[in-house]
Amino acid sequence: MNTDTAQTPSPVLGLYDRPMWESIRKRGMHLQCCQGCGAWQYPPGPGCTACLSENVVWRPVGGGGTILSWVIFHRQYLAAYPAPYNVIAVRIDEGPVMISNLEGDTPSGNWIGQRVALTYAEMPDGAVLPRFTLAA
Amino acid sequence: MSTPSEAPRLRRAAAVVGIGHSDWVRDWSRARAGEKPADSYGYGMQAFSAALKDSGLRREDVDGLIAGPTTAYERLGEVLGINPRWGDQADAVLSVVQACSAIESGLADVVAIVYGNDQRTAGTQYGGPQAMGGDAFLSYVYHAPWGLTSQGALYALTFQAYKNARGMTEAELGEVAVAQRGWSSMNPNAIMRKRITVEDYMASRYVCEPLHLFDYCLINDGGVAMIIAEAEYAKRICETPVFIQGIGRSDLNRGATSLEPRLTDFYLPAQQQAAARSYAMAGFGPEDIDVLQVYDSFSVHVPLALEGYGYCAVGDAGKFLRERGIGPGGKLPTNTGGGHLSETYMQGWAHQIECVRQLRGTCGERQVPDCRHVHYTSDVAGKAVSLIYSR
Repeated sequence: MNTDTAQTPSPVLGLYDRPMWESIRKRGMHLQCCQGCGAWQYPPGPGCTACLSENVVWRPVGGGGTILSWVIFHRQYLAAYPAPYNVIAVRIDEGPVMISNLEGDTPSGNWIGQRVALTYAEMPDGAVLPRFTLAA
Repeated sequence: MSTPSEAPRLRRAAAVVGIGHSDWVRDWSRARAGEKPADSYGYGMQAFSAALKDSGLRREDVDGLIAGPTTAYERLGEVLGINPRWGDQADAVLSVVQACSAIESGLADVVAIVYGNDQRTAGTQYGGPQAMGGDAFLSYVYHAPWGLTSQGALYALTFQAYKNARGMTEAELGEVAVAQRGWSSMNPNAIMRKRITVEDYMASRYVCEPLHLFDYCLINDGGVAMIIAEAEYAKRICETPVFIQGIGRSDLNRGATSLEPRLTDFYLPAQQQAAARSYAMAGFGPEDIDVLQVYDSFSVHVPLALEGYGYCAVGDAGKFLRERGIGPGGKLPTNTGGGHLSETYMQGWAHQIECVRQLRGTCGERQVPDCRHVHYTSDVAGKAVSLIYSR
């Protein structure tokens, strides 16, 4: 399959996801932060899952995080993702866990606990994804 | 807050009086030859007919019907020709629970629970662009932009974090697939019957590293049904009724889409609470269980269950698998039919009839001697359900 033009799998675009993806397209990811209790959340939703306040505001994230887990796909499921490729789970410094990919150099041993920094990858079809690189 | 003793009304309120299933070994061969032996309703019909025959009841005696999640309730009832006075739709373990609830509350006396699935011949996708389950679990579809859609990959992420936290090795996880193949080699109803070794496991290819091919369930067609009846009636009509003795449930929903309950606690809090509730209702604990059946879409479920339901200390599942053992000759016979990895992938339904067979004492070569109590657990997406069957 020609992966140069493969379509990046579409994100779930519920009502509350759209502002996040708009911020990602502008390469400055925002997530919801609760004005009541201060909790950040991912994925976005109708209100704060920690305290049920509906007073949540969009704020830019700092971009730092720590790897919680990682896998290497050896089987291809999606045209845009020929194997092998990695998927990581990152706990961002604001608290929530995000699923993403690690770009560039990868750790030689255990990836868990490695510090990472947010980056923005432009896919061959033009989609922009928040990804991570090992922190300098 | 509920305490564990608050739900004992269902204890021994109902019993399984009939079990049946389709011939998935034959249909596996036929599907591989390009045939389509039946659709989901056809497999459900075959299983229901077998279960009804096993129970000795007439179809007219069935006054409750629960359809599994892969068939429409109305059409299944139409195909089976049943106009019940009570009906529902549920997965394997909740079908059993809801049948007991309906019977105990007087809404039905004899409930058929029926599952049919043509997932193999229909080409159902559990990973990729058409991944199933996203309507129920947002985590199955939310991470698609980053290439994460397969449910196996969710368990690969879980196992990577788990082995880092607990010190378990891939070879220790391999003991699960080896043990279950040991059981299935003695089960004429199992699709995969060739024994394997840990060396075979380690040499097998990764699908999503750190999980190997042998860590993944089969995908095959088939159907399973059970007839569950009110306890006193069951005793009158059945020589070996199998009673539902204990039930417990605990769900982890918070943080579920970003996989946090899988990656940080490995479902442990939910399993421990479901276990406590079911043991309290049953009146005994894990030391009294003769056979364990674990929902095993992936082998990873088994070590999580061993720790979560109290069969070993937290962090000791690898050692337990290696030293005590869950296969033939092991201390805790587990998934004695071969499970999803080796017998058949009936999404927990075939595990129920294996529970009944072990308690009836009809398992032949793989029969666990003097089997009195069998424990079934499932923890799909952090929804822990614990079910105890007893003679």
